[in-house]
Amino acid sequence: MVRFENVGMRYGLGPEVLRDISFHLQPGSFHFLTGPTGAGKSSLLKLLALSHRPSRGLITLFNKEVSSLARDDLPAMRRKIGVVFQDFRLLDHLSALENVALPLKIAGAKNSQIYQHVAELLEWVGLGRQVDAKPPTLSGGEKQRVAIARAVINRPQLLIADEPTGSMDAEMGLRLMYLFQELNKIGTTVVVATHDLGLIKRFGNPVMFLKDGMLTTRKQDELPSQFSRDGG
Amino acid sequence: MMQIIGKSAELQLEKDVSTRYLPVVIAAMIFLAALAIGGLFSLSNAISDWSATLTGNLTVEIAFDPTADLDKKVTDAVELLSKTPGVAAARAIEQEETLKLLEPFLGRNAALGDLPIPRLIEVIIDEDSAIDLAALNEKLGEAVAGARLDIHRPWLDKMVLLGRSVQILAAAIMLLIGAVTVIIVIFAVRTGLIMHAEVIQVLHLIGARDQYIAEQFQNYFARLSFLGALPGLIVAIIVMFIFNFLVGSLEASMLPPLSLGVEGIIALLLLPLMVALLTRFTVRRVVLGSLERMM
Ligand SMILES: Nc1ncnc2c1ncn2[C@@H]1O[C@H](COP(=O)(O)OP(=O)(O)O)[C@@H](O)[C@H]1O
Ligand SMILES: [Mg+2]
Repeated sequence: MVRFENVGMRYGLGPEVLRDISFHLQPGSFHFLTGPTGAGKSSLLKLLALSHRPSRGLITLFNKEVSSLARDDLPAMRRKIGVVFQDFRLLDHLSALENVALPLKIAGAKNSQIYQHVAELLEWVGLGRQVDAKPPTLSGGEKQRVAIARAVINRPQLLIADEPTGSMDAEMGLRLMYLFQELNKIGTTVVVATHDLGLIKRFGNPVMFLKDGMLTTRKQDELPSQFSRDGG
Repeated sequence: MMQIIGKSAELQLEKDVSTRYLPVVIAAMIFLAALAIGGLFSLSNAISDWSATLTGNLTVEIAFDPTADLDKKVTDAVELLSKTPGVAAARAIEQEETLKLLEPFLGRNAALGDLPIPRLIEVIIDEDSAIDLAALNEKLGEAVAGARLDIHRPWLDKMVLLGRSVQILAAAIMLLIGAVTVIIVIFAVRTGLIMHAEVIQVLHLIGARDQYIAEQFQNYFARLSFLGALPGLIVAIIVMFIFNFLVGSLEASMLPPLSLGVEGIIALLLLPLMVALLTRFTVRRVVLGSLERMM
């Protein structure tokens, strides 16, 4: 499903923020990605989301080596990937409903099929009354739920979420983690980046631990009890 | 459907302040282009009138001479020409007819006889005969003073040449207008691309094709161009009507009225469509070219 081989990444001409990352994710697996702030979690997810290119190494997604893809192949591949961005990246002038419907619309679905489905999903994440609200009028947690709904509306094969529960209360956070778990049960490969160690302990899925741009796999009981404030 | 009219749902280009000047500039461009087209087609109609009258024939020109009896000279020359073997017919061109040919330059009310206009004789030659034109010219010059066989019709040729030059100028102006329009559109689109870079990236990441994004840009800008072109064209048409009205009412005008002909009118009416298509094509090229450099 996902394979990284000696992947490095840098922004522009800056230093490498990821170094020698190698791992392999089985289809249908559910992984947490954790590490202190600035460790490179978001950067690694950007590689997975086909948003950035690695500066070296090989990334294989859906059995295709990413650097060998033609430009025309990218959209089809991205449609199989749902992404919850850390900063949501909603379109401010579209309503919650239109934001969530966008991946379907872009994929060419008919309007009549879209909106029923989208409204149901928004209802499920607790935004039944905010379907027509524009993102600037929503709270952080509400925006985050819109972003999650947009990421899952297409039934992606790979779901990537960057701190998806960071802006909401614990109860809603858990509810959405259960949504991810349900999607995982029907075959979706899930990667959730979080520094919420409590959440990781609660769910007990395998953990990829990033520190200083290097990746190690740790068992649950080897995790630190909390990340030091300076981020290490 | 809304997409085709030009609404750009996700990019909201219509909220951009930076592109609002575009219709105004396009209106000015179309105004100039319409006037150039007016000149181009009016001239081309005049030129084909001049050349059609004298094509295939030779002309004998009898130089204007206020002291001589020009009518007699014309009669003598016609008689001599008619007797020449190989000449099928020789016909004096009425002065009114000559004036009519020159009307675009002299105005409708130029008084006969006041102008140093040469008398013309149209000579039609038997198709299969080979006349020695140089010898005929010589013979003619001896028999009638001031008569000259006008093989190359230098006088009218010069008019045609002048007409053609002005036509080429008008065509060059059209090209220039097209080039300036393209450049303006390119700058407007580049600005739009920069302003919307973030939304474009999000659209890409949720699976939008370059085409999908390019379409929003091209529809929106084509609509802007079209909407700018309409008032530009309308003002130009009004200006041309006023021009023709003034020309018609002025005595002894040196200017011909504009007469576009059917092709000219069609070309005028196609202008907004053409500029919309040109814009659409330009925008598409620019957007696809710059999206290609993104991941
Ligand atoms: N757009 C960017 N341009 C330059 N440097 C960046 C950019 N985004 C992140 N970085 C740097 O990359 C490193 C890793 O950041 P990030 O992947 O956001 O870490 P995390 O998500 O684990 O907090 C940090 O040092 C950060 O400063
Ligand atoms: Mg991050």
